[in-house]
Amino acid sequence: MFNLALWVYVGLALSIFGSIAAVWGPGVKDPIIRTINTEVASVGVSLILLTYNSTLALLTLIATTIIVTLILFRAIARLEEIGADV
Amino acid sequence: MVASIVPQFVPAFYQSTYSTALYGGLIVAFIGLIGIAMEKRDIQVLILTDIVGLAMLIVVAAVGTDLSEALILPGLVVELAEIMAISEILISREMRKKDVDTSFSPMPLNIDMEIMTTAPNFIALLLIGYGVFLSGFTGGAVAGGGIVIYVLSRKVRGLPIVVLDGVGAISGISWCLWIIGFLLFFLMPQYWLLSLFLAALGLLLKVASKIGLIGILMREEYGRK
Repeated sequence: MFNLALWVYVGLALSIFGSIAAVWGPGVKDPIIRTINTEVASVGVSLILLTYNSTLALLTLIATTIIVTLILFRAIARLEEIGADV
Repeated sequence: MVASIVPQFVPAFYQSTYSTALYGGLIVAFIGLIGIAMEKRDIQVLILTDIVGLAMLIVVAAVGTDLSEALILPGLVVELAEIMAISEILISREMRKKDVDTSFSPMPLNIDMEIMTTAPNFIALLLIGYGVFLSGFTGGAVAGGGIVIYVLSRKVRGLPIVVLDGVGAISGISWCLWIIGFLLFFLMPQYWLLSLFLAALGLLLKVASKIGLIGILMREEYGRK
């Protein structure tokens, strides 16, 4: 009824799909779109961690994903402010 | 052959999905590495490093016991520190190339709100209290978040250098506590509770003071401009 392995497959599919989207997806020349596309892959990894009962790892992954996104956005914004090739 | 390597306590579910998850993680890593090989610009490569980090997480998570959890936590923190450091290096290199200065934090909003000066005391106290109650790595992160909120939102600037050194010293001493706790685990297993608390509280102090130091450094940078 509630097949646990299904969620591993969904998580893997999401992370593979998200990584393809981040590498070849539409509009990835813009670094902000590329950063947001990596979030899809990180949701897939979250599903895998959820299936494997790794609560602490899941919480830390969510926290670090948010911090990494903030850092990358800040780096992109500052590089664009300088006028570098991003 | 393989069954004799896997310990008895690993549930059957983890064993049945192990190879699927492993190959999935390798595919993600392959895609990410192809992307890195094709890309020329540094910031794009840095973003794609995140994908490879996620592939690493999948491969480690495929082990599926407490071991994977224990390996994922430091992996995440190392990845975070790496991205933080490399983005700073990229920015400073571009700044040196173009010889221009930028704002420390590009914010479209002016975050000069009244709540930033009144609420932090309470929120920081709450977060630090909850972090001490949690103990260990997660508690350290929560308590460190409390310290960062307190430090960033305070208007008072210019913490004396003694305090900065003191926070660093706390970090070093707690590192020693952690190591002593680990040694006691192996030398005197009958004192496992003592060594558990030594390790947990040492890690709490360590992580909290590290995150607090990041907050203090960020605040100092704010004031310099």
